[in-house]
Amino acid sequence: MAAPDLLLQAGVVFVVLAIGGALASRLGQSVIPAYLVAGVLVGPNVPTLLGYEFVLVESREFVDLLAELGIVFLLFFIGLEFNLERLAAARDRVLGAGVIDLVVNGGVGFVLGVLLGFSVVEALFLAGIVYISSSAIITKSLIDMGWIADPESEAILGVLVFEDIVVAVYLAVVAAVAVGASGGGGGTADLALSVGRSLAVLAVLVALAAYGTPLLNRLLDTRSDEQLLIRVVAAAAGVGGLALAFGVSEAVAAFFLGAAFGATEHVHRIERVITSERDLYAAVFFLSIGIETNPALIAGVAVPLAALVVVTTASKLLSGYYGGRAYGLSERRSTRVALALVARGEFSLVIAALATRPDIALPQGETIVALAVGYVLVMGLLGTVLMRYSGVIEGRVVKSLG
Amino acid sequence: MTVYETDIPGVGRKFEVELDGGERAVVVHHHDGRREVFRRADPDADSEQVFDLEATAARQLGSILTGAHFESVDTGDLSVPLGDAIIEWIELPDDSPVAGRELAETNLRAETGASVIAIQRGPDTIANPGGEVTLEPGDVLVALGTREEHEALDGFVRP
Repeated sequence: MAAPDLLLQAGVVFVVLAIGGALASRLGQSVIPAYLVAGVLVGPNVPTLLGYEFVLVESREFVDLLAELGIVFLLFFIGLEFNLERLAAARDRVLGAGVIDLVVNGGVGFVLGVLLGFSVVEALFLAGIVYISSSAIITKSLIDMGWIADPESEAILGVLVFEDIVVAVYLAVVAAVAVGASGGGGGTADLALSVGRSLAVLAVLVALAAYGTPLLNRLLDTRSDEQLLIRVVAAAAGVGGLALAFGVSEAVAAFFLGAAFGATEHVHRIERVITSERDLYAAVFFLSIGIETNPALIAGVAVPLAALVVVTTASKLLSGYYGGRAYGLSERRSTRVALALVARGEFSLVIAALATRPDIALPQGETIVALAVGYVLVMGLLGTVLMRYSGVIEGRVVKSLG
Repeated sequence: MTVYETDIPGVGRKFEVELDGGERAVVVHHHDGRREVFRRADPDADSEQVFDLEATAARQLGSILTGAHFESVDTGDLSVPLGDAIIEWIELPDDSPVAGRELAETNLRAETGASVIAIQRGPDTIANPGGEVTLEPGDVLVALGTREEHEALDGFVRP
């Protein structure tokens, strides 16, 4: 049996999440920034106030475990929804917008990273963090604002899917490069070995997605939702863990596993039974990032953070607008695409979490996490607010262009 | 009429139905069964939400729209359930063999089993007509009987 302390800690974690979530929805905001702040407030890094220690969560094991499952299921779910034929059908229209988005924002992030004094590998992390918009925040806002019924939502979601695929590849490459670069001698041989091993694991998973559908159909063939859930969790946790043991990103492995499951006839049932697990674990993941974050460190990076926010808001607006135009939307609807894509969230944090993984441990990893947390706090809120005031902004844009 | 169907990743499916004058009805199916119905007046307009329905309410509305839930009233073919018997309308054609004859003389009830309970003649209704009423072309006979009796009546009054 677990010590009574452990259960109490779990209680504290979920009570804090519940309060944060309730406050966020009361304010009409996304829950991700709320979970982050909640994490900072109960973590070990909060300063003592009036001689009173506010540290509520000390035991990290179960938080770490659930957070890890959160990453795995976030990516697994993206993989489930990933559909090669659907993508091929939309390719021509989405490709332009997706490439503009990648080149502009990834490029700006990388250059900013180098200018801010980060190493090349670290700048690569920063590029990923500022590139990827938040599917979770944006999709929810699209539904809340009713944009989901309008043509711009197709462009916005198309770009998000494109980003998801880029990030799956990106995570695989960056994790391998970072592991190789930190591998003692740091020689080219280490790097090649790390990248090669990563590609080999991914090749197995891609083969599973391409040829393993009949096998997976049989493995998942059960009438019981309970059995289905257990089998899916077993596969996701098992494959993620094995991938980590081979030095491959568990997130990427989960993505490809999701894609393999997405090709089976059980895909809709899997989505239904797994959604609430994903939401629960992802919430703990956001909280755990907050717990790891030292508020003093965020204050210390205030200047680079401000630079990052200003420049990448501008770059995302620009790439979003021209992406919308490339998709064939009017000026007004393109402005909406631009505003919607500003929100950053879960994947920026997934990338940041990689920076402090023990086998990667970037020299400035802590700084990158602090930057990412501050960044997501600002961009998550800013994105939602921009969408809410889109009426005014669209009017201005159309007038100034007309 | 064209219907456009699109996948919405992470949300569900979207259906757009082209209506008159560039107007579109947009239906969003969420994975969790929620259904939203929007109206978009023209291609440049923003969609306005008309309904936000739970799965059950959506199904009910859908069956009403298809006519499976309640049959809409069509005077050409109206029937009212009345045990085995139903009430039907039948119009006498110009060359009907019973036109110009008195109701009693046609021996209609004995021949078909159906009873004429009213006659609609232009704007006038002859309720519970007696045997002396002369039938005219264009009269609408309101008759009570089983389906078989109505079929017999149908054959009886047509040339």
